[in-house]
Amino acid sequence: MVLAIAASCNEPETVVTNIVHADGTVTRRIEMKNFENKFEVSDLQVPFDSTWTITDSLEISREGDTIWVKRAEKLFSGVDEINLSYLADSGANKEIKRHAEFSRKFRWFNTEYRFSEIIDKKMSYGYPVKNFLSEDELKWFYSPGSFTDEKLNGADSLRFRAFNDTVDKKIEEWYVKSLVSEWIGEFTKLTGDSADNGMGFEALKQREDEFAAIVLKNSEHFDSLWVEGALFREFLGETNSVRYKTEADSASVLAADHFWVSFSDYTLRTVMPGKLTGTNGFADSSGVLLWPVSSDYFLTEQYEMFSESKVSNLWAWICSGIFVLFVGLGIIIRKKGKG
Amino acid sequence: MTKENDNYDRLVRMLRNSRPDLFRPENIENEVIKRIQSRNQSSGMFSGFIDALFGWVYIGWVRRSLIGVSVLLVAIFVYQQAFIIRQVNNISKQVVIIGSESSSVSSSALDKRLALYRLTVRLSPDREIRISESRLEELLDSYDDLQVKYKDLLRIIEEDPELKSYIENRLKEDKEYKPDI
Repeated sequence: MVLAIAASCNEPETVVTNIVHADGTVTRRIEMKNFENKFEVSDLQVPFDSTWTITDSLEISREGDTIWVKRAEKLFSGVDEINLSYLADSGANKEIKRHAEFSRKFRWFNTEYRFSEIIDKKMSYGYPVKNFLSEDELKWFYSPGSFTDEKLNGADSLRFRAFNDTVDKKIEEWYVKSLVSEWIGEFTKLTGDSADNGMGFEALKQREDEFAAIVLKNSEHFDSLWVEGALFREFLGETNSVRYKTEADSASVLAADHFWVSFSDYTLRTVMPGKLTGTNGFADSSGVLLWPVSSDYFLTEQYEMFSESKVSNLWAWICSGIFVLFVGLGIIIRKKGKG
Repeated sequence: MTKENDNYDRLVRMLRNSRPDLFRPENIENEVIKRIQSRNQSSGMFSGFIDALFGWVYIGWVRRSLIGVSVLLVAIFVYQQAFIIRQVNNISKQVVIIGSESSSVSSSALDKRLALYRLTVRLSPDREIRISESRLEELLDSYDDLQVKYKDLLRIIEEDPELKSYIENRLKEDKEYKPDI
């Protein structure tokens, strides 16, 4: 049985910073804070090993608590090396597929850089969260905890709390519909879509809202009803629930495995070379880009944390300027000659 | 006046006829010729260089091509810079988070974790359990209870404008209060 609440007790508060250089190398820094001097590999959100420069220190928080801080830093020759470290990850998030991408495009006057960290989605049949939330709600959903907490506890907090409740309600609906969709997908995969009596993929999909409504109606006792098969009986009918019990149970386990992501949250930060021109992240107090990394973000869709920047090619500016000046002078000389 | 004029003319004639006694006059002549020639030569080199450098202005297709390339370069430059300025402006409109970053689980994240748990906790019997189920049930029940009370409280506050403004003021005061330690 999953118990992430207990598991989360040992996980350090982690911030990963990627400093992207113009030549494609990346300096990666990890800062982990914990109330105990316990940094077990199995609890760590991002991989690092003995090849990193590691420093340990003790700090006192504003509340007067002692905090153990572990800092690790390493210069990676490129994203391929980062991806190799993700592949060899044995930490808390080893089940999650993560990788980094880097591209550089020469555009004469400028060179464009793009760096992103991508987390693959967990569910195959889930719905994108944007189908359930409005633009403002999506912004809230993807916002870092420090930002939403500040709004929830600051001025006009009642309005934000009501807004937060609305978002939570919609998120719950998204969970249920995605879980039901995942179950239908896995079930029809197991039966090879050969099940008859209204148990084919299309037939079940048409009744998806009906099943979701049953789940939502029984959300108070969802877990016990699910285990007892009561929800299936109500949805599939007595005959089908007995006939397809094995497939339905297996599909429910698979759907739950995809849905329940064992993941330890952290914060990702990126520093780009040159002038920042595009990102889907946020800026922290020091102007560095940051993204909260939470399991909800890659449940049904790939989660890409990207940043784009441009570096001016000074030599191209000078060469072009001299060339344009030369052509201009030529034209003037010609006009004078004619005159 | 006529006499004065006659004297002047006679003096000029005398001066013209009395030539200076030069030592090797042909040397002076050669030097003058040499200097004049070198002056002409340097001026010819410069104009030759200019002619060679800007000779293309008299060849129609080269002139048109180079002007075309120049215009293209200027257009690309203007377009790229305008595009960058627009992108930078868009970025600056993006949300800026005040305060330090945090990866800790916020209260709303905890809500989600619990909601997730409620939906899936019994679905994977092969996984490890680290606290007793009864204590977990207790936790979830108290969480439900708290949530119901919280919603009731919010409703009561919303229905009473005086209470609402009082609580908002208190929350604001709490936020502004800094203990003098």
